[in-house]
Amino acid sequence: MTALLREARFMLRDRGAMVWIALALLLSAAATGFGIAEVRDQRATIAVLLEEDAKDRANAISKYDAWGDAAYDAFHLTYAPPSKLAFAALGQRDTAPWLHRVRMLALEGQIHEADTRNADFGLIGRFDFAFLAATVAPLLLILLLHDLRAGERVAGRHDLLVATAGRALRLWLPRAGMRFAALALALLLPFWAGALVEGAPALQVLAASGLVLGALLVWWLIVEAVGRRPGTPAALLAALVGIWLALALILPAVAKTAIEASHPVPDGAEILMLQREAVNDAWDKPKAATMEPFLARHPEWRAHGTVDKPFEWKWYYAFQQVGDMQAEPIVRAYREGRLARDRAAGIAAFLSPASLVERGFERLAGTDTQAMIGYEDRVRAFHAELRAFHYPLLFRDPPYDPLAFEKLPRYQPPR
Amino acid sequence: MIPALEARSLSLVRDGTTVLEDVSFTVAPGEIYALLGGNGAGKSTTLLTFLGFLAPSCGSVLVNGRAVAEDVDGARSAIAYLPEAASLYGHLDAYENLGYFLDLAARKVSRAAMDEALDQVALPREARGRRMQSYSKGMRQKTAIALALLRDTPILLLDEPTSGLDPVAIDEFHDMLKGLADAGRSVLMVTHDVYGACQVADRVGLLRGGRLVGSFEAAAGERIDTETVHAAFAAREAA
Repeated sequence: MTALLREARFMLRDRGAMVWIALALLLSAAATGFGIAEVRDQRATIAVLLEEDAKDRANAISKYDAWGDAAYDAFHLTYAPPSKLAFAALGQRDTAPWLHRVRMLALEGQIHEADTRNADFGLIGRFDFAFLAATVAPLLLILLLHDLRAGERVAGRHDLLVATAGRALRLWLPRAGMRFAALALALLLPFWAGALVEGAPALQVLAASGLVLGALLVWWLIVEAVGRRPGTPAALLAALVGIWLALALILPAVAKTAIEASHPVPDGAEILMLQREAVNDAWDKPKAATMEPFLARHPEWRAHGTVDKPFEWKWYYAFQQVGDMQAEPIVRAYREGRLARDRAAGIAAFLSPASLVERGFERLAGTDTQAMIGYEDRVRAFHAELRAFHYPLLFRDPPYDPLAFEKLPRYQPPR
Repeated sequence: MIPALEARSLSLVRDGTTVLEDVSFTVAPGEIYALLGGNGAGKSTTLLTFLGFLAPSCGSVLVNGRAVAEDVDGARSAIAYLPEAASLYGHLDAYENLGYFLDLAARKVSRAAMDEALDQVALPREARGRRMQSYSKGMRQKTAIALALLRDTPILLLDEPTSGLDPVAIDEFHDMLKGLADAGRSVLMVTHDVYGACQVADRVGLLRGGRLVGSFEAAAGERIDTETVHAAFAAREAA
């Protein structure tokens, strides 16, 4: 304890160390602030759309007197609200869609037309707390610890210090430990404040803090291993920055390229195009070309499956679903491919502490690939409920009654 | 009586070069021993072996009768070390530096005791609260000497301790060393200052090329004859 107090006093007088720690505090506050602003913006967007959602739908329904018209014009809001820890790791929310206004039309195109949103963030990554903790914090730790021994050697104090301390550990461990603790606190304090403001669950905050400390500890060991070697502070810094570049930037980038090459995945635009072409082509095909595959999937409507008129709503919605059915293989390939890439990335992350921390944060915050695919699956399930609600009305075609829409399924995000 | 310091057939080879070869000497409690020699004679290296920073290739070094290799901690805790051109922290003042290093040595010393030590080395009072980066070389050396005094260890290892001190300060320093020796402390100092060594030391060893090539001892109540040592030193250097 005395040693830690001694080193705390010493560190407070070391302007160089305090600059890096102050920078860590500033960056952490900024990253936390940006994250909170972003999730609040997302929540506000959802709240505004939720307010309008029921109103718009009621307007659409009241305008018509046919089931098909009402179904056509009614939009249904689906969304994945950011978790209470999402401010710390926006993760895949920047590249995967988390908000849709779906209709009774073919679904896959509606899901994937938003895939290219925020593509710039997909490329450069966002400056959130997870990025700070995973990528920037190790660099700050390197700057704080790289020259503990070498700096003293160059200044001609090393032998005096060690001879005075008796054992080297009595000196370097508290000195490095104090800097480590100061950096960790500078990073975590704004994060904890953010978590408090956002009401994040204590266990998740604890786990996230453990991730930060664990990653910093790994980097401390790396810095310690290199910093013990003879060499000037500049040479040791160059070596450590090289290791940081390799582990935090180059290795994840190489792994990403290798994973993408070894796990080819169709993109969202392909799904969109395929499904739209399937739907558009249906207008020119014989009705049976639509109804047969539809009724094979929904034999319960075979008794009502005859289409006699040039246009019938049940045929229209049937070819919307057939469009989805035709896109199913590519949708499955896309979904499975993303999951396979994610699994491979999970394994590759063990080579890079930075990737491991980012993935850990995204998992805790519910902003990882699995969470986003989970949201897409929930949209599909909700859309299936919509179809299950509308098909009896479209195929049996009872007299139009707007009150029937009171039982219209509502999308509920998971709690 | 167990010597405070003892080198037994000490040899050291570094990077294929013999730095010390079969060096043997002892420093008794209360004795001042000066190792004289030119640049690269192995003087500082000898000190570093007593601190456990360098391990002998052959032979051994002992502190208070215990081999340093067996108990480095024990050796270091018995020794106050003053490196050549001791560099303390420039961003701290003299008190803060003393406080930091003494705390490192697990020694609590009051401000009054610090002032007393700083008075002994004649560091001006008005300088003591200033950052050491504004100190002259001599003032820095005086602060480092004060640190060695405040360690209050039975043994002092001093590497060119008068480097940077003015003649008056050197005389005062020598008087102080004699006082410490009289109080029972052992001093091993390395220097190339023949005059200074003869002024203060009870015995002088002459190192050349890593070998102890001469030894001089003061007769009771006398000083070592400077001219004799200087002649030996000059002859050896010329050789």
